[in-house]
Amino acid sequence: MLTFITRRILLTIPVLFLISVIVFSLLHLIPGDPARVILGQDATPAALQALRVQLGLTRPLWLQYVLWIGGVFHGNLGNSLQTGLPVAMLIGQALPVTVELAIGTIIVSGLIAIPLGIYAAVHKGRMADLITVFGASIGLSIPPFWLGIMLLLLFTVHFHLFPSSGYVPFFQNPIQNLQSMFLPVVATAVREAAVLLRMMRASLVEVLGADFIRTARAKGILWRVVVVRHAVRNALVPVLTQSGLQIAGLLGGLVITETIFSLPGFGSLLVNSIFSRDYTIIQGSALVAALLVVGVNLVTDLCYGLIDPRIRMGKGA
Amino acid sequence: MMAVRKQLIATTASVLLALAGTAFAASPSLAMSHPVAHRSAAPSGTIDIGLSADPPKLDPSLSSALVDRQVMINLYDTLFQLSASGMLESDLATGYTVSKDGMTYTLQLRKGVMFQDGTPFNAAAVKFNLQRDQLKISPRHSSLSAVSGIDVTGPYTLVLHLSKPFSPLLNVLAGRAGMMVSPTAVKKEGAGFLNNPVGTGPYEFVKRVVGSYIDLKANPHYWVKGEPHFANVEYKIFTDPNVELLNLQSGAVQFIDTLPPQQVSSMEMTSGYTVINKPSFGYQGIYLNVKSAPFTNMYLREAINNAVNRSLLVGAIFRGTAVPAYSPFGPASPAYVKSEDTPPAVNPGLIRKLLKEGGKPKGFSFTMQTATSPLDVQIAEIIQSMLKPYGIQMNIDQLDFGTMLNNSADGNFTAMALGWSGRLDPDQDIYSFFYSGAPLNSSQYSNPKVDALLNQARAVSDMAVRKAIYAKAVAIINHDSPYVFLYHPNNVLAYSNSIKGFVYIPDGLIRVATLS
Repeated sequence: MLTFITRRILLTIPVLFLISVIVFSLLHLIPGDPARVILGQDATPAALQALRVQLGLTRPLWLQYVLWIGGVFHGNLGNSLQTGLPVAMLIGQALPVTVELAIGTIIVSGLIAIPLGIYAAVHKGRMADLITVFGASIGLSIPPFWLGIMLLLLFTVHFHLFPSSGYVPFFQNPIQNLQSMFLPVVATAVREAAVLLRMMRASLVEVLGADFIRTARAKGILWRVVVVRHAVRNALVPVLTQSGLQIAGLLGGLVITETIFSLPGFGSLLVNSIFSRDYTIIQGSALVAALLVVGVNLVTDLCYGLIDPRIRMGKGA
Repeated sequence: MMAVRKQLIATTASVLLALAGTAFAASPSLAMSHPVAHRSAAPSGTIDIGLSADPPKLDPSLSSALVDRQVMINLYDTLFQLSASGMLESDLATGYTVSKDGMTYTLQLRKGVMFQDGTPFNAAAVKFNLQRDQLKISPRHSSLSAVSGIDVTGPYTLVLHLSKPFSPLLNVLAGRAGMMVSPTAVKKEGAGFLNNPVGTGPYEFVKRVVGSYIDLKANPHYWVKGEPHFANVEYKIFTDPNVELLNLQSGAVQFIDTLPPQQVSSMEMTSGYTVINKPSFGYQGIYLNVKSAPFTNMYLREAINNAVNRSLLVGAIFRGTAVPAYSPFGPASPAYVKSEDTPPAVNPGLIRKLLKEGGKPKGFSFTMQTATSPLDVQIAEIIQSMLKPYGIQMNIDQLDFGTMLNNSADGNFTAMALGWSGRLDPDQDIYSFFYSGAPLNSSQYSNPKVDALLNQARAVSDMAVRKAIYAKAVAIINHDSPYVFLYHPNNVLAYSNSIKGFVYIPDGLIRVATLS
């Protein structure tokens, strides 16, 4: 196991290096000049040039990269071109919001999807199954931005049950934190739950038709025990893979939910930085996002072993 | 002799400048709206204000985004300020004189004012600020380029020497160039000043979380009697205007800086809220690149300018939150002339004639670059449909704002929908856009007659005379059609009726000091 983890961590180094080179190169290929975005429409050529020199944008590209990556190795992601604030601090402020939202979404969607998926699979072809599958189709069809607006209208404007905006860090006030995250998590989780539910149902239906299930039943094991102990554990592997992919996707893809609920998250930071050509934030965020995706994949792989002991890490699993 | 601007009303004899001498032709004082005294009641409570974007830079010397001003107007005082009727008033400058030749301005400054960090406000501080704005990296650089020297002649007296007459100067000093920052704080913070701003305004900066909120607290040393009333201000950032409105309705904020056009009439009818819907200084339109075919041909530019039905466009999209435009000067501008700003009725015969004269009787095709917001795309599509009956095929190229700015500066476009947020002085809404080689002249338009008129207007201080000069320039510009003026957007604000004391100023900024 330790060898597996070490190998995976070592493999991330070239991955991160490649990503940093690709992001850096692409950034400088896209049109748009940070100096012009910063100084605005009426900037004179002299003012633009003076700012480019001040920001270090007139240096050769390779030198800009070397200076930046050198800083990264010393734990310095640089400062925002727009605000001058340290990029590490900005990411440090934004990331917990998105991580909490993503984890909350996966937990809530898992709590909805796994029991319902099991229920639907066990009752395959019956009315309960049809209703669940139909519900999942609706969940898949509802855009999160629309659901978010509807939730805001209902629970904040009409019933005043939740705050309509803002983020309170968990360690500052856990209750207010949960209140502020409840609606965003629900708005995102409905769609994710629908995906997981369909995955859980399909996977379990397949497992329930396997020979070992028939054998287990023939041995006289209770149906409930067969489902929970034998079938569900096997069926969870693809669901877990899907959850890992969903978390990785959510870390950068929650920008719409963040916008609707005014959460200062990682997705919004990244999108705003792209619009304002804030190169240092984009580079730092891309690196952190890559690190997170690699980390989530590693954790997912480790979880396989917990669910299914047949899977042995580092032995071709 | 340099005539004193008519709208600058001298009402307070106590602030008349004592400067004598034959060099000075006028010594007007300005209306004092704020008597200096100590506060009578302690501020209390918090007001939450919704902003439609996160202000990038809270340093007036570096700011280029319109939304910065919403916060900065409460952190900083300006040398001059706008009154509710759009006239220039005293703020940190209590009076001024202008020399006969218009080359020397002498400013008299307010006494007894301190920056929020305890630094005294005086002539040396103003000199420090103006020199900082004159640095090349400041977006204020071009608006102060006429100032060739600054002399401190007394603790509260400052003389500005100009290299050429520049009548917009006082209006410039009512904007960001006139916002005074603490020299001590700038020296201490360096590049970090924009994240730790210090001014003399009614509120002090406390904290910000990028993309989320900005907190201010009342300045205990504020020099205006009885202001501010709220102890704290929290700005909350909402990048979606519908979400911003929902937050007003839920009570999370009490004031919002924008309202989606389709929601204006319903909010006006909803009890408990006040909607402000008034003309702004800005305009939107389309640059036609005169150096890029087919718009090297003036007749084809004119055909486009005549084929767009502005009233229809504004009616379909803005629902009363914009007015049709035919000049840079909308109803809020001191240079507004209704007849000059009224687009002519669409005349299909004339358009066909222009196309024929331009050698394209069956029409032509071109690509217009536009921003990606739903509103921008909607406008482009409506214009596309308006041009189609004449055989003019307009392709739409959606680009992000950063790319558009680059393309506009490089002349890398045929047509581009890009507007201007507008300024108090008309010069700043026209000069840079239509003067040969000026920074915002993206159309690459050049007409010596227009150049001469725009220079002439800069040398005259009487607004009535300037208006007449601008009217002549606008007529030529519309004939040459390097730019298709489309509409003037309104300033649309909304607030809960629990808020009292709001005074609307034509710049559309929410001045919190008077709110309670």
